[in-house]
Formats: sequence, structure tokens, C-alpha cells
Amino acid sequence: MPRGAMGMWGELFRLEMKVLLLLAALVAVAAATEDFVGHQVLRIVPSSAEELRRVQELQDLEELQLDFWLSPRGTGDPVDVRVPFPSLQPLKAHLEANGVPYSIMIKDVQALVDHEQMQMLRHRRRLQPLSTDAFDYSSYHNLDEIYAFIDLLVAENPNLVSKLEIGRSTENRPLYVLKFSKGGTNRPAIWIDTGIHSREWVTQASGVWFAKKIVQDQEKDEGLASILDQMDIFLEIVTNPDGFVFTHTTNRMWRKTRSKRSGSLCVGVDPNRNWDAGFGGSGASSNPCSETYHGPYANSEPEVEAIVNFVKNHGNIKAFISIHSYSQLLLYPYGYTTTPVPDVEELHQVAKEAVAALSSLHGTKYTYGSIISTIYQASGGTIDWTYNQGIKYSFTFELRDTGRYGFLLPASQIVPTAQETWLALKVIMRHALEHPY
Amino acid sequence: MQGLGASLPALLLLLLLLSAQLPPPAVADQPPWAPAVERALDPGSRLAVGAARVALHKYNFQAASPSGLRALGQVRKATMKSIPGTGQKYYLQFTTEDYRSRENAGSCLATVLYPKKKSPPAVNIKCINTKDQNQIQEEDNRLYRKLKHQTKPIIGSNIPDSFGNMEPAFEPVWALAVAGSSYMMWEKSTEKVGYFMSQVKSVKQWMRKDDSLEFDYTILLHEMPTQDMILCHMRLIWLPGRPLKVKYTCESDSHRLEDGSGMESGSAAGIIHEREENF
Repeated sequence: MPRGAMGMWGELFRLEMKVLLLLAALVAVAAATEDFVGHQVLRIVPSSAEELRRVQELQDLEELQLDFWLSPRGTGDPVDVRVPFPSLQPLKAHLEANGVPYSIMIKDVQALVDHEQMQMLRHRRRLQPLSTDAFDYSSYHNLDEIYAFIDLLVAENPNLVSKLEIGRSTENRPLYVLKFSKGGTNRPAIWIDTGIHSREWVTQASGVWFAKKIVQDQEKDEGLASILDQMDIFLEIVTNPDGFVFTHTTNRMWRKTRSKRSGSLCVGVDPNRNWDAGFGGSGASSNPCSETYHGPYANSEPEVEAIVNFVKNHGNIKAFISIHSYSQLLLYPYGYTTTPVPDVEELHQVAKEAVAALSSLHGTKYTYGSIISTIYQASGGTIDWTYNQGIKYSFTFELRDTGRYGFLLPASQIVPTAQETWLALKVIMRHALEHPY
Repeated sequence: MQGLGASLPALLLLLLLLSAQLPPPAVADQPPWAPAVERALDPGSRLAVGAARVALHKYNFQAASPSGLRALGQVRKATMKSIPGTGQKYYLQFTTEDYRSRENAGSCLATVLYPKKKSPPAVNIKCINTKDQNQIQEEDNRLYRKLKHQTKPIIGSNIPDSFGNMEPAFEPVWALAVAGSSYMMWEKSTEKVGYFMSQVKSVKQWMRKDDSLEFDYTILLHEMPTQDMILCHMRLIWLPGRPLKVKYTCESDSHRLEDGSGMESGSAAGIIHEREENF
């Protein structure tokens, strides 16, 4: 790619070079056929009219496939030319035979291109994807990236997806819920939330994957299509955005919200102890510094209150699924008491089926049962409240793994985790569809 | 209504109905009657799984083998006996997996006694090996030689990192941390409180003139059900084929407490625990 006449040296030249290389890289990437292995860039500075003429002649020798980065201009002006490997010897021989001195500026163009490409790829990863197809589902993202993904998804699927703001967090971040609906008014609905505990990163990452999956499969997957024909799906991906940001900026192991209360040095309330179901009882802490601090009163946390208001105002939610990690469990109420729920047998059966579906994909083993018997006593929990509101199909997931990596689950496990969990979710959703109440 | 003779069966029926109201054996609060009777537990229940984990902590520590670490597979059978004056004893049968590859590593039989007085659980554990023990020893030796060949002390932090990444060069050091942490987790476990090793916050090697390898670790433990993250400092000495030497102190989280009541003022420096297993 010949360059026009430029009078500048030094930094400008280097900048241009970089641009050229980037362009070269782009071309190579796009064409996927050309490569620059063994190519060299020679610099020739014609010091006489005769030498200049010789160099100018080279431009006509098409078979050499020379690529002038700096074309011949006048005597004393450098000429930079990229020479493909097969042409190196002939060209050098020609120059030497005619007494035209040259120097080798770049000994191996490919090496440089590779380096630039790598830098670019790394840089590109951090740039915003332009579509949800370009989004990297196999890595962990921060809040801005997820919120940008949400907007992209809505823009790409305006007939199916809309974004609702159900409230604001303590630090005034918007709480967004995606609504997947094929129409109707206030249809019976399924609620899914991820990321209520901010350090459980595989859950927000799975939520992003679920969102894309719903959009992709809404036509081609019969099961999902029939669900969406009659029901809406609500998905809150980052249920605790303040905590989530905190895990990125300050403390990867932050679990709670970021609410501050006068009289305490400690920050945050456990959003899964803040619901009005056995609130304040055994299985939560009254110590503000504890990871399971229930808060000063039920629904004190705006993140919780927003969902409570949404559920009550909607009035037609039939299944409520709150997603956590880790431990590989599928749980139904109660956590605050050993008294079994009236629907225990049905919920147990649904859980059994869901876990079998989950396991069918990658062999991941889950245990299932009530919260209190399977994991521990916990009061003020989400699905205890939703169940008591009349949402029969209330479940909590604890996703991968069982302790090897715990919260620090390698990104390579995001998609397999999301895929298998999705199968379990579909079992629950289908059951809700087929058993209206 | 018939005479008195009919009310006795009715009374028995009533007693039967009442006993049916009692919570199933898998739950923590138990009626005090018949304490020495062995009761079957739901193998998926938290008490059974918790006890199995404790048994494995001890196994992993005693094995002192970074290549032979095991993780819990599934609990197959669990029973529990309440021994008056002593504590709760669990009898367990469970499968295990290789800690890294998740391949089946064989099943184990174990007893775990949680004593009434606060002290480490007493564990007896015997495991079948599906993996060739010589092969495991070979891997340990290979690991050892690689680490011994380092001319500069190994220093690292955040293993794995926030994204779950672990540089292959640090894997052996991480595996040793798991083995050493198993000792801490075994000692600290109770019937109600269990642990997982979350992360190696930092590791620093101390070069030794003798054959052993010595590391200074800061370890983050995840405590359940409190959900606390406990920071521990651990000094570990390893020589393949020899018992692991571990010294540790854990910072008690200032917000650690029992059952959500009141506030316990935590002290930053705990007691130094030292242990060297005898052959």
C-alpha cells in the first residue's frame, strides 16, 4: 500500500508505520490468505538522480510484488519498500548491481504483524462488542459491560425483549429486569434472578447467557416457544449491582449489599436474609459485621424491596427461581423452619426431574431438597417469602462447583454451567406451564 | 363410643400420630430419647455431607500428597449415633474424586466423632485406591524435584485469581496449600460449621539447606454456614513420603458469632496451632 508524500520523520513516521501495520494486520485477518512470513522492509535513500531513477523503475516490476510504504520522491527522501520473500534476492541483487545502497529496516514483517495482531486482539476484547453475537460469553464481565449487553439485546429484539427499571440500589444504580414476552397482558410469569450475592460471579455470567439463549431459541426450541406462547419470563441479571461493582474494584469476596448505617462501622446487609419470612430468626445474624446480617428490618434493602414491590404489583408470577453459587444444589423452601411446605412432594419431584435434566448434559451431580435440610437453616430468605406469597414453584439453585474453586470458578466453566442449568430451568418452567394454578 | 377397652388402641394411635409429627432424622434438633441408637441419615443431608468433608480433610492432610488429593464425590450411606457424655458420632460411606481431574478415586469408609467439648473432630478413615499409588508417588516426586530445582524462592499471590485462573507454574504450590489447609479445616470443623479453601492470597518460599520444601502461605477459607471469609497464616514443610508439618494461625473475623445472637469481639491473632503427624 503505497503512501503519499509526507515530509515528517520521527514520531509521525512511527505512527504511520503503526497504522500501516494495523491496516496490514486487518487485511491479513480479513483476507485470511496473505501472510508476511520472511518479508522484509528495505530502506533506500537515493542520493543521486540516477539512483532515484533506478528505484522508480522498480515500481513497474509488478512480478516482484513490491509494496512501497514510502514511495520514491526526490533525492535524499527515504523509500521504504516491503519485499515479499521470493523477491528479496532478486531485488537485492538488482540494487547491488546498480550500486544503490539499502538497509534492512524490518527483518521479519510477520513477526511484527503477529505482535500487533495480538495487541489488537487484546485491546479489542476490552472494547465494547457491537452485537450480542460478538459478546464473549466465556468470560467474566463487569457491570458496565453487562448493562451494555442488556441494551444491545433489547435493541436487537424489540419485539420480544424489553428492559424494566424496578428500582435503584443503595448507591443509586438502576436495577434492571429483562422482560421476555410475546404479548398479552400480565401473563402468568416466571422470574429468574442471578447475582443477588455479588461474589457468586458464575451466576451473573449465566444470567447473561440465559438472556441470549432465550432470544436465540424462542423460535427453534419447541419447549421454550410453547412456554413463551403463554407465559412471560423476567430475568434480573445483576440483582446486587453495588456489591458486584465492589467485587470488581475492591474485594472479590464481597457478598452483601453496600448499605451503610449510622452507628456501625460495617457495611452491607445479606440480601438473602432480608426478606419477610421468619425475618430475624435463627439462621441470620443481627450483627451488622456478619456476612449473614439480616438488616435492621425486612426489606430494608432497596434491592430486595424493588423485587418485593415488583412481585406484589405483578400479582401473576407462577415460578420464582433465585440463583446462587456454589455447592451444586437445587433447593425448595423452607430455610427458616423444619416444617415442610404443603407442596413438598410436588416440589421434590420437580427438583428431581430438573436435576436429572441438568446432569444429562455434562454429568454434573446435584443434590436437592429443602433449604434447611440440605444446606443450613436460613431465615429471611428469598424463596421462603415468595412461596408464602403463593408462588408455589419457588426454587433456589446453588451452581458449580462443590468447593475446589468455589466462588473463583474458572471462566471456562461459565458456558457449561449455564447450559446445564438452563435444562433444569426449562423443566421448572415447563412444569409451571403445564400445571397452572 | 365403646367402653374403656377401645380407648387404649385410640391412645396408641394418638401416640403414633404424634410421633409422625416429629421431624425426620436428617434434621439437627433431635428428641432426647434413645440417644445411643444409631439413626440413618439422608445421605444428601448437610450433616452427612459435612461429616464426610471433615473425614476427607483429615485424609488429605495425612496423605501429605499434592498429587493424591481427594474431593468428595457422593455420600452413599450415613448413620449417626449420639453418645451421651462424649458427642455425636457419624458413620459414613462415600465416593471420592481426584481433586484436580474429578476422576473417580475410590470410595471411603469413615467415622467422625464431634466431641462435646470444643476440640478437633476425631476421624477414622479408610479409602480404596482406584489410582495406582506408585503413580501418585511418582507424580509427587516429580513435583518435588521441579520445586527443588528452583534457584529463586517461589513467590505468588491470588491463586487462583478473581477469574479462576491459575498459572500452571503455581499449581503444585496450590495443591500443597490444599493439603496443608486440610489440617486447619479439619481442626476447626464442628458438627455445624464447615470449611472450604477459597484462595491462596499469598505464598512465599523459604529456601532450606536440607531436602524439605518450606512455604509461608496466607490462605482464605470460606466458612459455612456463617459465610465468613477467614484469613489464615500457614507455614508448611513438605518432603515426599513424610508427614506434612503445618503451623497456623487464623484471624477470627471480628463478626464471627454463634447463632446470630450478640456480638463476639474477635482477637486478631489466634492461637498458634502446630502439628506434626507421627508415623
